[in-house]
Amino acid sequence: MIEVESLRKLFRGGRGLDGFSLHLESNELVGLVGPNGAGKTTLIKILSTLLPPNSGVARVAGRDIRSDPRGVRASVGYLPDVAGVYQDMRIREFLEFFADAFRLMEPNRSVAIERALTRSGLADRPDDFVEHLSLGWKQRLLLAKTLLHDPKVLLLDEPATGLDPLARITLREQLKRLHSEGVAILISSHILSDLEDICTRIVFIADGKNVAEAATGAAEGSTAPSIRCEVEFEGPADAVDPHLKDAPDVRVLEKRDRLFIIELPGGRAEASAFLQKLLAAGVLITHFDARGLNLEDRYRRAFGGQTR
Amino acid sequence: MSRLVTNPMILKELRQRLREGRAWLLPTLYLLVLAGTVSFAYYAATDPEMGGSRGELQGADIGEVIFLTVVFTQLVVLLLMAPVFSAGSLTIEKEQRTFAGLLTSLLTAPQIWWGKFVAALLYLLLLLFSALPLLTLALAFGGVEPTELLKAVGSTVLVLASICTVGLWCSSMFRRSVHSTAAAYGFVLVLSIVTAVVFGFLVAHWESNNFAARGEGPPAHIQAPLFLNPFYPLLALVGSGGFGQFSYPVSSWLLFTALGCLAAAFSMRRIQRSGEQL
Repeated sequence: MIEVESLRKLFRGGRGLDGFSLHLESNELVGLVGPNGAGKTTLIKILSTLLPPNSGVARVAGRDIRSDPRGVRASVGYLPDVAGVYQDMRIREFLEFFADAFRLMEPNRSVAIERALTRSGLADRPDDFVEHLSLGWKQRLLLAKTLLHDPKVLLLDEPATGLDPLARITLREQLKRLHSEGVAILISSHILSDLEDICTRIVFIADGKNVAEAATGAAEGSTAPSIRCEVEFEGPADAVDPHLKDAPDVRVLEKRDRLFIIELPGGRAEASAFLQKLLAAGVLITHFDARGLNLEDRYRRAFGGQTR
Repeated sequence: MSRLVTNPMILKELRQRLREGRAWLLPTLYLLVLAGTVSFAYYAATDPEMGGSRGELQGADIGEVIFLTVVFTQLVVLLLMAPVFSAGSLTIEKEQRTFAGLLTSLLTAPQIWWGKFVAALLYLLLLLFSALPLLTLALAFGGVEPTELLKAVGSTVLVLASICTVGLWCSSMFRRSVHSTAAAYGFVLVLSIVTAVVFGFLVAHWESNNFAARGEGPPAHIQAPLFLNPFYPLLALVGSGGFGQFSYPVSSWLLFTALGCLAAAFSMRRIQRSGEQL
């Protein structure tokens, strides 16, 4: 559904894309993750035809973004990071305008507007002015507007920014439902827990290049299996140190008094073996948690302390 | 062609404009200013103590005074308003972060431009036509031909349309309304004042060579800077014996049309590339 090959976009400031590639199928919900200035927004803007690339190939729903931008726009729903609304329009008028902007003809136009009102949960207040909606409701309205023309691909740039927890949960549910309906979704976000919950795959990007890729939900899907363990114990603070030195593959992620967060190569079996080794050595373990690497750990591993 | 008429941008723009607080305030102020100016001109023309005629005053003279006062005053006021309505129309979409929604819809750059242009011009035309009763008052007094009235209204519409396209061009170039509006006002000032100053220098030089002694007006090349002056086409309406008989209003109309077409083409091109500005 999205094919990006060696995409390059240069800005005067230097940030952009530097040979980025991505393939996204119709049944995928892919998260785009990276530090600020990594190129996430640039990629989404190029795919939505707002920006022309310097080189490389980008196709959305089989249409080339350069030779057929209108075809791409007809297939894409784009929600920018900070999307504005027409505050002085009524909710129905706002949807009607975009239905007309996407050239929906009757009876599809009316059906699409009613569906958008239902989808956004605003069916009982179509005559309210947009300015009276809270940020969360505005975001729901914007998403409904983005879906008016039944796009095959959804490009979302930081859609949860500024939303309260309940609005974020609602957004996640909406995206899951759309994914189950067959809409391909590319979403950029800094809220890793949200992405972990809904995405089928995560693509890491930095300096405009592909950095890593991982399936979500479990560490088993990662290319180099490892498991993260939290170990808490009683007794001398250095009781565990000799056992860590004996196992060079074990990486200490964090050490706080009598609490260690470590990363072991392998899966649950290896974690269990490590626990047995500590117990056999007489270390008094009070807490042991081995639930694998979450997205935050993977992010940390991919980007380290990289911030912009 | 039908897309230009059924353009959703026009309905959206007009709806938004007429919901603004100034939608009713501006026409009211506009008519008050015109009525005040016409009243002043009437008394100035009829009251000898205010410099009016001491002899018997003809109705035609009063009609002519009212007509010229209205057409020039409304052009001044509308020239001050045109940048406000046009120069902010695209920048406000950028400021409100709604422009990306337009650019990623199936609306084309010409459709976006046309919607903005029609909305800006229609509001100015609403003001212009709301003053028609004052102009017809001049017709009732006499001294003014209906063709002169048509020419005055036509010239004003053409000049305002050109200024609106320039305002939209400024709006497509800048990100902030304050900058685009300032640029559009700068442009109006250049057209209104700088062209007149240049003409003043040229005509002074021309007169110093005693060409004026022959009883002819300045030739076309001396008047050329004025062709882009918004008030120039109206000068042709100034009665016989005045500057009007030597003016070239058609050249001015053609230049304003060309200016409008150029500004429109640049604006549309700029809108197409606006993604870089978002």
